[in-house]
This record gives sequence, C-alpha cells and structure tokens, in this order.
Amino acid sequence: MPRRFLTAEDVRRAGSGPLEVAPETVVTPHARQTAEELGVRLVTGSGDWAPQAPDRGPDAEGAQRSPPHLPEPEGDDEAGSVIVTAVGRNRPGVLAEVTAVLGESGASIADVSQRMIEGFFHMVLVVNLTPGCDFADLKGKLECLGGTEDYAVNVMHERAFRFMHRV
Amino acid sequence: MVALETLDIRTTTLGINLMDCADPDLESTCEKVFAKIVHHGENLVSVADSIAADYGVPIVNKRIAVTPLSWIAAASGAHDLVPLARALDLAAEEVGVDFIGGFSAFVHKGFTRADDALFSSIPAALAETQRVCASVSLATTRAGINMDAVARFSGVILDAAERTADEGGIACAKLVCFCNAVEDNPFVAGAHLGVGEAETVLNVGVSGPGVVRSALERLGPDEDLVAVAETVKRTAFKVTRMGELVGREAARRLGTTFGIVDVSLAPTPAVGDSVSDILEAIGVDRTGAPGTIAALALLTDAVKKGGAMASSAVGGLSGAFIPVSEDRGMMDAVRDGALSLATLTGMSSVCSVGLDMVAVPGDTPPSVLTGLIADEMAIGMVNQKTTAVRIIPVPGKGPGETVEWGGLLGTAIVQDPGKFGADILHARGGRIPAPIQGYKN
Repeated sequence: MPRRFLTAEDVRRAGSGPLEVAPETVVTPHARQTAEELGVRLVTGSGDWAPQAPDRGPDAEGAQRSPPHLPEPEGDDEAGSVIVTAVGRNRPGVLAEVTAVLGESGASIADVSQRMIEGFFHMVLVVNLTPGCDFADLKGKLECLGGTEDYAVNVMHERAFRFMHRV
Repeated sequence: MVALETLDIRTTTLGINLMDCADPDLESTCEKVFAKIVHHGENLVSVADSIAADYGVPIVNKRIAVTPLSWIAAASGAHDLVPLARALDLAAEEVGVDFIGGFSAFVHKGFTRADDALFSSIPAALAETQRVCASVSLATTRAGINMDAVARFSGVILDAAERTADEGGIACAKLVCFCNAVEDNPFVAGAHLGVGEAETVLNVGVSGPGVVRSALERLGPDEDLVAVAETVKRTAFKVTRMGELVGREAARRLGTTFGIVDVSLAPTPAVGDSVSDILEAIGVDRTGAPGTIAALALLTDAVKKGGAMASSAVGGLSGAFIPVSEDRGMMDAVRDGALSLATLTGMSSVCSVGLDMVAVPGDTPPSVLTGLIADEMAIGMVNQKTTAVRIIPVPGKGPGETVEWGGLLGTAIVQDPGKFGADILHARGGRIPAPIQGYKN
C-alpha cells in the first residue's frame, strides 16, 4: 500500500536524489518546502508529483453558487473598486503623494471628495482597479504614506462597504 | 470601524469530516487523520490571509474542527487515545492553525467504550499537546443531564489542571463541557463537526464588541432602551454581513461548502474589545451590579435579531460571550468585587454560553465543580439553549490571586466558589431526567 503522507523528515532522510511518491500520497507543505530547499525532486511513476485537489464532497459544487439576494460575486476577471480614505494635518503635496501611488499601480480614480476642517483635511477616493493591479500591494504602499504626525491612509475593498450596508 | 473599533473576523474554521479515517488499527487511524487534515487544511491560512488583505478586515484566527474523535476511535477499540491527539496537534502545526477542535465525546445519555477511552485520555492529551481542544456533551434538553458524566468530568478537569500546574492549569483553557452542544460551532474550545454536516464546511465567527460599544457611546445615555436595542441590531447587521462576505469568499476560494456565520460578540483582552464595556454603556455602573442580566438579555437578543436580518446562514452559538479572563472589563469587575461567580451563572441564562474562562482555586473539591457544572447544564437544559463550562482550577493559587496565561486567553483573578459543596449530589450519580419541555413531539 502506498504511503499516506510524506513529511519533511522523510524528505531529509531520503537524501538528494529523486524521491518516488505515489500520486495519492499527501506531501505536507513542510515536506514540499524541504524538498525544494534540498533540491529533491518528487516524482511519481508518470512524471513530477503534483498536489491533488482535495475532494470536498458532493455539497461543495452547489455551495459555490451564491444566493441571488446577495450582491456578489463579480467574477475573477473583474478587479473591482476600492475606497481610499486619508485624514490628517494639511500640507502641500498630500493629494499628489496619494495619486502618484495610484498612478504607478495602474489604478484609475473614479471620484474624489476632499474637505478641510480647521487645518485638517479628509479625503475619500473611489478608485477602479485595472486587471493585473494587485490590491494587497496597492494597500501596502498607500498605508505606508504619511505617518503618526502627518496623515493616515486607509484602503478598503468597495465590496465590503456594499455588503455591510445593503439590506 | 476596522482600525478604531476593532472590527475583525474572529475565526474562520474549516470543518473536516473524519468518518472515513476510522480503522481497526489506531496507528493507521492516526495516519489517516493526519493525512486528511493536512490535505484539506493546507490552504486555509493562505486563503484567509489573502481575503484579509483584499477586504482590509483582519481575520484573527484560522482553525480546524473535526468529527468528534470518540466516533473515529471506536473501530480501533484502543484505550489510550493520546496518539490521536498528537496526530491532530501535528496536523494543526503542519497547516499553521493555532487550535484544532474535536477531541470530543457525546455522553449526555451514556458512555460507549470509545467515549470512556476518550474521557480517560483527555488530561494527558491536553497536557502533551499545544493546539488540541477537547469538548464533551454532558446534557441536552431531550436527554437530561448525565450526572455520572458530570462527576467524572470534574475529575478530568482537576487532573488536566494538575498536569499543567506550572503553566497555571492551562490545559483546562482547552477543555469545555456543553449542554445542547451545537454541531457547527466555529469557536474553540468547543469547535467540532457534527454528524449532520457536509464533508468539509467553512464556518465563520465574527467579533465586534468594540463596534457595538462605540455605537452605543455615540447614542449617549439619554435615549431609551428601545433605541439601544435598535442600535445594537443595526451594528450586528453590519458585522454579520462582513462575516458572511468573508465566509462565502473563503469557501469559494477553498472550493468548499459555506456553513454558517456565528454572530457572537467575542471579546479579547485588548482595550475596548469588551462585552463588559457594552453592558456598562447600556447602563449598569459595573458589570455584575444589579441590572447586568437585564442588560445582557437585551444585548444578546438584539445581536441575534440583527444577525438574523443580515444572513440566512446564522448558526453556531450566536449571542454574546462572557469569557472572564479574555475580557478586560470583566477582569476589572472581578478585581473590584463587582462580578461574582453567582452573577456569572445568572448571566449565562441569557447569553450564548456560560461559565467561561473562570479561574477557581486549584484545591477546589470535585463535588464543588460538579455542582457548578450541574447548575450550568440545568440552565441550558430547562431553557432549551446552549450552555457551557470552561473552568480552570489553578494549582497552588487561592481566591484573589492572579494568573497570567497570555495571548488571547488573558489574565484571570482566581474566584471563590464558596465554602459549601454538593457532596451527596456528586456521589448520587445517575441522570437528571429530561424536563417536560424536552418532550415536544
């Protein structure tokens, strides 16, 4: 009977040559990482070993369909919109700094609102992401702008707002 | 809402059915269990992290719940089930989750051989592993309370505490008993995947005490209680919606069934993330003062109503948690003498669980624990609701002393269970028959 699983320890013990694994053997994430580090090739009788998708059971497929009353999903090809908010002490160049990051990331600004209250600004931008534009990367860059003494930027996916506020 | 009011998703919990792992050989069972959990669970953490990044909402915990292991171990006839707990622990470590629930047995009416073996294995299993959580069902409204099991469970608690004496009895923080246990609970320590569930299910537990408290503070003290209930409902609606969005998206990315959103206000030791603060914002001077149970009843009901409006998939425990050591406000209330064990027991009749993360002296007699647990089970049984007890006898500590568990488990002050016990009740054993409201057919 083939082995049920292969651990990092098994990979280390096997040395540097190719390691034969049955297609249905579960190779743990750490075993895969160790194999990559040690340059051990994981092979089956018919080529390189590749992880098999788990069988999630007969209910899983039907469960992928969303109920019609919920406003989702848009599909993987559509990157969607994000809401960028920035609040802080006003000084020249804030808007330029934010929009520069958006421009570099290939995002386009759909709408913008800015207000001043006694030397403090707050700004809301609705931004469309183009395909290939990485939300996490954009969020990371934008939220690094400003600082505790300057201004704070927050980035949220538009869908989160739509979902939370629609009955 | 996210940054200032600590809105987060408390847990995404992947339920994995292990029925097909049962094997006459325990070692084979362990291997099958490890392989199945790793195979199904390996993407859980990366998927949860990617959704947190995409939607800008933190997902604090990623966890796994499995089929109660007494059912899986039965085929082996083994008496020592600690190897199964080790297999769960290793699998949880391999996939990077912080807790795995399902070292569980359902004994509300009686013990099977496997239940007996699991009960005996709990103290060593919890002491030897880091991530495994154990739970037992001791009572239901339909079956009554199995007092033999309650009495035995008291011994299990004390044994588990003693084995982790140098860490303040921390094994007991991973051990809970239930009346009317729910099959889709995503929260540890009681998480498990019940028999009626699908092959794999993604359940979500929301949080949000900070959001509710902020909304009530904005409302101010002059509005009446209908306005308070309305505010809580509206807030719970938003929090639940966020939970459902995250749950459905996580299920879609994992390719599995979406189960439920558990709409529970789950506090953490962080400042502002406290159910106690909400009760004080509703209007009691200190949590534990007269009026506390009324305020908690309003809160729990409004949370359920807001959640039910937001989602057709509300499940789990859904209500408000009152884990004393995990809630800074409750801790302060205990320290100031405002919140007693008796009031906590009363509160559990209107919240979603019961005595949770309560520290008592390490030398508490088993009969006193039996009495405390039986009281909680009775409240759940008669009121047809879930109640639970997660109580930690802290070895070497007396009433008023502090014990630090760290992280999400927080800090506790040892509470005094009083000087009177229930020796004869403890010794009688048998069963408290099901109440008349259990006979509904």
